[in-house]
Amino acid sequence: MLLAVLISNSEGNILTERFNGVPAEERSHWRCFLVKLGADNLKGARNEELFVASHKSVYVVYTMIGDVYLYVVGKDEYDELALAEVIFIITTSIRDVCQKPPTERLFLDKYGRICLCLDEIVWKVVLENTEKERINRLISLKPPTPV
Amino acid sequence: MAQPLVKKDDDRDDEAEYSPFLGIEKGAVLQEARVFNDPQLDPRRCSQVITKLLYLLNQGDSFTKVEATEVFFSVTKLFQSKDLGLRRMVYLIIKELSPSADEVIIVTSSLMKDMNSKTDMYRANAIRVLCRITDGTLLTQIERYLKQAIVDKNPVVASAALVSGIHLLQTNPEIVKRWSNEVQEAVQSRAALVQFHALALLQQIRQNDRLAVSKLVTSLTRGTVRSPLAQCLLIRYTSQVIRESPNTHTGDRPFYDFLESCLRHKAEMVIFEAARAITELSGVTSRELTPAITVLQLFLSSSKPVLRFAAVRTLNKVAMTHPMAVTNCNIDMESLISDQNRSIATLAITTLLKTGNESSVDRLMKQITNFMSDIADEFKIVVVEAIRSLCLKFPLKYRSLMNFLSNILREEGGFEYKKAIVDSIVILIRDIPEAKESGLLHLCEFIEDCEFTYLSTQILHFLGIEGPKTTDPSKYIRYIYNRVHLENATVRAAAVSTLAKFGAMVDALKPRVFVLLRRCIFDSDDEVRDRATLYLNTLGGDGEVVETNKDAKTFLFGALDIPLVNLETSLKNYEPSEAPFDIDSVPKEVKSQPLAEKKAPGKKPTGLGAPAAGPPSTVDAYERLLSSIPEFSDFGKLFKSSAPVELTEAETEYAVNVVKHIFDRHVVFQYNCTNTIPEQLLENVSVIVDASEADDFTEVASKPLRSLPYDTPGQTFMAFEKPEGITAVGKFSNVLRFIVKEVDPTTGEVEEDGVEDEYQLEDLEVVAADYMMKVGVANFRNAWESMGDDFERVDEYGLGPRESLAEAVSAVINLLGMQPCEGTEVVATNSRSHTCLLSGVFLGNVRVLARLQFGIDGSRGVAMKLAVRSEDEAVSDAIHEIVSCG
Repeated sequence: MLLAVLISNSEGNILTERFNGVPAEERSHWRCFLVKLGADNLKGARNEELFVASHKSVYVVYTMIGDVYLYVVGKDEYDELALAEVIFIITTSIRDVCQKPPTERLFLDKYGRICLCLDEIVWKVVLENTEKERINRLISLKPPTPV
Repeated sequence: MAQPLVKKDDDRDDEAEYSPFLGIEKGAVLQEARVFNDPQLDPRRCSQVITKLLYLLNQGDSFTKVEATEVFFSVTKLFQSKDLGLRRMVYLIIKELSPSADEVIIVTSSLMKDMNSKTDMYRANAIRVLCRITDGTLLTQIERYLKQAIVDKNPVVASAALVSGIHLLQTNPEIVKRWSNEVQEAVQSRAALVQFHALALLQQIRQNDRLAVSKLVTSLTRGTVRSPLAQCLLIRYTSQVIRESPNTHTGDRPFYDFLESCLRHKAEMVIFEAARAITELSGVTSRELTPAITVLQLFLSSSKPVLRFAAVRTLNKVAMTHPMAVTNCNIDMESLISDQNRSIATLAITTLLKTGNESSVDRLMKQITNFMSDIADEFKIVVVEAIRSLCLKFPLKYRSLMNFLSNILREEGGFEYKKAIVDSIVILIRDIPEAKESGLLHLCEFIEDCEFTYLSTQILHFLGIEGPKTTDPSKYIRYIYNRVHLENATVRAAAVSTLAKFGAMVDALKPRVFVLLRRCIFDSDDEVRDRATLYLNTLGGDGEVVETNKDAKTFLFGALDIPLVNLETSLKNYEPSEAPFDIDSVPKEVKSQPLAEKKAPGKKPTGLGAPAAGPPSTVDAYERLLSSIPEFSDFGKLFKSSAPVELTEAETEYAVNVVKHIFDRHVVFQYNCTNTIPEQLLENVSVIVDASEADDFTEVASKPLRSLPYDTPGQTFMAFEKPEGITAVGKFSNVLRFIVKEVDPTTGEVEEDGVEDEYQLEDLEVVAADYMMKVGVANFRNAWESMGDDFERVDEYGLGPRESLAEAVSAVINLLGMQPCEGTEVVATNSRSHTCLLSGVFLGNVRVLARLQFGIDGSRGVAMKLAVRSEDEAVSDAIHEIVSCG
């Protein structure tokens, strides 16, 4: 299952987060853990370069795009490769909505649309959509191009 | 000219710095949300307010029930707007608000309307939102629409319904299971995502039907799967089918060809999934492994870190069972030691440590030394554990590996890391005799500058046991006595005990140890002074070079064979009186661990760590309860109480479990009953026991339960007599008998007249293991030697064909009910022989040790040699009898 999607700025302030099946009391632990992981490894990384870590049976894949750090956490069928797929579509959608790797300001300017994209990509514990164009149309309530 | 340009830049900086949500405040946003009630809706403005609400929610701002409900109600008014962008935001905010708002059901009618709308996108979104807020009753109403939606020609609608199904299966499984025909149809969809979601749902619906999953896999592996994600799922389900199918041992493995063909898929995700599935096949052969290892090897040099990580992680696992299969990848893995991602580098190193040969150890250690300085403690611990295993594998290399460990012990590091190193050194000292002296000196140097009290005391304890047995024990005294001067009271007390052990074991050192101990009686701490005084008196001889008597040695070196938790409980229960505390009254049984802990992965070899403490003992509580019942007061001392055995299924009207209490000549069954029906009161509750299949038992007493109200557990008892000293076994059938009276749950009023009724319970067995307590020993070899072979009984048994060696070992452990020691209950995969060490206390408080040697042949026939030592000849014979009858 997909346990968490978390987006922060480069200083570790949370911009948006979605936890699924993680008890409320464990969330702040996860938040701190992920933010520290980003602070330790993402400074100076290339845009959209993927980083990966695992802790017991849980996997974390994380990256940066512009001034924004992204983390996805999963277990079982959401292993490192599936998470790479999830993070890829999230970064693509963010880049698409912001039309470039976003600054924090640009990200917040497009906050509403980004929330909609996340809503289309991940529904609770399941990856739902994986194509940029399709998501772009879905968030405007337009039918996707025929398959 | 430059001025405006600068100004523009400044402006841009400001723009970049300030967040559009700067100074956002919940109260103000809630005020703004009133625009949702305007008769003339401004979609743009409404969307902005929703975005602010989303931001607040995502920032962890909590809305009170009233606030959330108020906003929720306002949001429902936005359904009037036809603006598509706004409608999409409305769907999202309803989902976000629904967990915290009341009366979310109010939005149902609007959503139902959208669900039947001609606009496909309304339908898809309405389904997703409805499923978020629905309950069982509403779901029955909309079920028809959902079933239609699953086979909708629009893939977005179908996917929405299918993913809803995956979520609803958790809460309303019986309803979702009725959709399997539609889901089956959706699996054949041409839309890739629909097929992926349908496959996931169908497998979950049918997961308990092995045949159905097998059929599903068979048909899909022959057909077309459109998306890589669905293909990965299919590979997983295929592995599950392979795992659950009976082992044929002849011919090719079913579905292997499918897995192997997936190694040539165009998507890396699928290739990896197939490779991993192959490596995880049980009893996989080298021929089957080779193609999987080849693709994983290619991934090791991929430019994508995720692929490198996945590959090295899988190879690391394979290396544990098939190290030779991975050796071809060693060169690729060596280059990963310098990988930027430290997780990848650590995995590469630990894999290399598993696959390397004796000649490559020195080269590897050089590489690791450079690597250790720039990784975090958690990675270092993994490396240390791998080095420990390597040293045990190649004992001749102990010198360089021990040096490596002692070097890193001197460097900076946290407690867990240091503990891992110390544990490793201790294990090497225990297992490699040549490494003992140098290892002990490394530990001595470490405690000279150790900031962790726990580690210092543990090392001092270990030194006290191993140090006196070395060629020159005197050289350790200086390090130990330094502790008495330089450390805190806990360490000082430990050092005093260690000194006493040297004095007891090395007669020549005794006078000098006496001088040192005498100095300790002026210590500022009570415990240190008390210990010093105690040891000065125990050792005897007044500091002369004389042999220490056996009792003193037993006192100093004997293991505490009582679980600390039990001792603590007994001490807490002891009330100050004339009668001194009697240590023999402390129960010795190790209580079984809770389920969650049992599921924890196999024990790692323990170094210095004390045996894990069990949960608080309930033995005392049982003992008090039974002694308070006059009928059982002359049964003597309670030997053992079993864990509760369930006699009813979960969620039945009456829940009953039974605890078996074993005395020397009696067995008492304590039936714990719970009435789960609010409308009933049970009276005169008893259990009618038929002991016709338990010849050695005679019923002697029973104690019915007067009244059993709803949800208030009560107990009824049955007592049986059995011949003393005999491990009588038998089967008992049970019927719960009672008078049932109706209760009005609203007023609690009970009707006067009741009806006699009976309720059939499961059978109960008394088995040989009930007469055995699980009591472990810290060092089996010492215990075995000190027990002596006076009452040793050895015999060989054929256990017939078994599923596996591990299954046979576990069956014998369960049959005897003894405590496995030193992790010997774990059988290495694919091993042909195994030795298991068991310890326990038999009825009559007789200590028993058993050494079981198993062997398995090609046709899975298992043979066992059982050697039993105990303090009583009859008990040794009884253990053999249990095995021969079992």
